[in-house]
Amino acid sequence: MSEATLLAVFEDIDPAANAIEKLHELGVTDENINVISGVPVAHKMLGRPHPPTNVSRLSMGGAIAGFLFGLFLNFGTPHLYNVPVGGQFFTPIPPGMIILFEMTMLFALLATFLGVFLDSDFPNYQPMEYVAEVSDGKIAVFFRCAQQEALKITETLNKLGAESVRPAEARQL
Amino acid sequence: MAVASKYLPGAKQAHDTHHEEEDHKQYLMFDPKPRGEMNAMVMESMHTTSWKFWVVFGILSVIVAVCFFYAWGYMIAEGLWVAGVMRPSYWGIFLVNTVFWIGISHAGTFISAILRVFKAEFRRPFTRAAELMTTFGLIQAGASIFMHMGRVWLSYWMFPLPNERQLWPNFHSPLMWDLLAITTYVLGSTMYLFLPLIPDLAMARDRSTGWRKTFYKILALGFRGTEGEWRHLITAMNFFAFAIIPVMFSVHTIVSWDFAMAMRPGWSSTVYGPYFVLGALHSGMGAVAVVLFIMRTTMKHMDYFIRKEHFDALGKLMLMVTFAYTYFFFNDYIVQWYGGDVATDNLLHWLEEGPMAWMFFQMVAFNIIIPPLLLWSKKIRQTPWLLALIGIMINVGMYWERYIIIPVTLSINRMPFTWKLFEPRMDVFLTIGTFSMFLLFYMLASRLIPLIPVWEVQEGQMAHSLRKVGKAHVPTLSDFE
Repeated sequence: MSEATLLAVFEDIDPAANAIEKLHELGVTDENINVISGVPVAHKMLGRPHPPTNVSRLSMGGAIAGFLFGLFLNFGTPHLYNVPVGGQFFTPIPPGMIILFEMTMLFALLATFLGVFLDSDFPNYQPMEYVAEVSDGKIAVFFRCAQQEALKITETLNKLGAESVRPAEARQL
Repeated sequence: MAVASKYLPGAKQAHDTHHEEEDHKQYLMFDPKPRGEMNAMVMESMHTTSWKFWVVFGILSVIVAVCFFYAWGYMIAEGLWVAGVMRPSYWGIFLVNTVFWIGISHAGTFISAILRVFKAEFRRPFTRAAELMTTFGLIQAGASIFMHMGRVWLSYWMFPLPNERQLWPNFHSPLMWDLLAITTYVLGSTMYLFLPLIPDLAMARDRSTGWRKTFYKILALGFRGTEGEWRHLITAMNFFAFAIIPVMFSVHTIVSWDFAMAMRPGWSSTVYGPYFVLGALHSGMGAVAVVLFIMRTTMKHMDYFIRKEHFDALGKLMLMVTFAYTYFFFNDYIVQWYGGDVATDNLLHWLEEGPMAWMFFQMVAFNIIIPPLLLWSKKIRQTPWLLALIGIMINVGMYWERYIIIPVTLSINRMPFTWKLFEPRMDVFLTIGTFSMFLLFYMLASRLIPLIPVWEVQEGQMAHSLRKVGKAHVPTLSDFE
C-alpha cells in the first residue's frame, strides 16, 4: 500500500487542533503526524502526546560526570602533582567544594546544550519538509496517510479551515 | 453661558471602557501585530544601516586597533611597568576592568534567567540585548585578565595540563577558583544566549538571500520548529535559567574572594561576596538601561518593541538593587570602621581626606544617594534618556568603587614606608580599548543577530488578554506551559 505525505497549513491553533482530531478519527495515528510552528505550542492544545526528550537525563548525567571530574581534580591530582599550601590540609574540603560546584555546573550545562543537539539531530543541513510561513505564525501539520485516502483527507482538512493542503516535499532550508 | 455636559445613559461607561482598553494598548503584550509584520520589522532593523552607523563603526575600529591591539602589543614588548603597576599596587586598572566587566555581565543573566524563572513578562523584548551584554562583557573581562597576566603566552600554565616540569595549578587559590568560575560562566552564558536565538536565526534564514542566507542557515542548524525541537529547546532553556543563576552568584562571589581572602586592610571582609554580587547587578542594570535607550533611539522599529513600560520596570529593578547595594555597602563600611584596626583606620581616613576623596564621595553620591532620589519617580523611570543617564551615572560610580577597592586600597597597607598613590599610564588606553571593543561588538551584533526575540514576544502576546471583571477590563495572563 503506497503512502502519501501531506502538509496542511493553518492560520491558527484552533483549526490545527480540530484538524489533528479529525486526522485521528480518519485513522492517522500520532506517530504519523508532526506539527511545525513558529512558537512553542503546548502539546495539550493540539491534543498531541507529550514529545519525549532526553535533555533532562543528559543534564543529570553531565552533572554527575562534572562532580566526578571535580573530585578527581581536587582530591586526585594533588597526589600526582604535589602542591603543598601552608596551613591547609593536603586536600582540604572547603576549597574543594568550590571546584566541585563549578565543575558540576559546567558539565551539566555543556551536557544540556549537547543534549539539544543530539535529540534534535542538529546540525542538519539536508533537504527537509518545511514551509517558511511557519515563522510568520502559521501552523503546519505534516502527516502520512494511505495514498487512496489522501483526496478525502485533503477535502476534510480544507473544510476545517486549512489554508492549503498539498504534498510535502523535502527542500533545502 | 456654561453648559454642563451630561452623558447619555451608558455612554460614560462605554467611554471609560474604551479608554481603559486604549491604555492597555500602551503595553507591548496588549498591542499585538501579526508575526510576519514583527519579523519584517526586526529584519529591517538589522538591514537598515545609515552612514552615521559606519562613521561610528569606523571610529571605534580605529580606537580598538590603536588602544587595544597596538597598546597591548607595546605593553607586551616593554613589560607591565608601562601600565603603572608597581609597588605597592601590583593590581592596577586591568583588575578594575575585569571586575567591572564581570559586573556588567551579570545583568544579562539577571534579566534573562531570574525574570524567566519568575515569569516576569516585561522581560520578553530585551532578554537578548541583556544576554549579549553578558557575553561581550565577559570577553572584555577575559581580555583584561590576560593583559594583567603580562606574559600572556604562558597563560596555559593556569590549566591543569600534565607536563614534564611538574607544574600544576593550585586549587586552593582563589585565583584558580576564578579561572574555573569565569570559564563556566562564559561557556554557560554563551550557550544560554545561543539556545533561544536558534528559532530567530531560522526566521532570519527564511527571509534572507546571499551571504546572510548562508550565515543564518549555518547558525540555525536546520531548525524547523517541530514539536520535538521545541520540547528539547524549552527543556534546555528552563534548565539553563535555573542553573545559570547560582553560577552567576558564584562568579562574582569568587571574584570578591580574590580580595576578601587576603588579610589586607579594606579587603578582608566576610560580606564581600553578596556586596560584590549586588554591585555587579547595580552596574549591570544601569548598563541595560543605556543599551535599551541606544537601541530604541538608533534602530528602526525598536520603539514598538521597547516601550516606556520596559524602562519603568527596569527603573524599579534598579531602585530595588540600589537599596540592597546600599545596605551591603554600609554593612561593609561600618564593620571596618568599628573594628579599630590601625591600618584600616588609616585607609578610611585616606579615602575620606586623601587625594582620592573626590572619587570616594562621587562613588557614594552616584551609587547610593542620587539613584533613589530620582528612581522613585515614575515620570523619570518612564523617560528613556533620563533612565539611561542614571545608568551611566551608576556605572561611573561603580567603576570608581572598583578603582577604590583595588589600586587605591593597595596604596595604603601595613607598611607606611611603601605607601604610594597608584598612577595609571598605558592601562588608560587599554581601558578605552576594551570599552570601544564592547561597543564595536554590540554594533556588529545589531547588524547580524535579531536583537529582539520575536518568537518570545509573540508567545507572550498570545498568552495575554483582557478579561471583563465587573465594569473593568483587567489584564490576564495564561500559562501555556
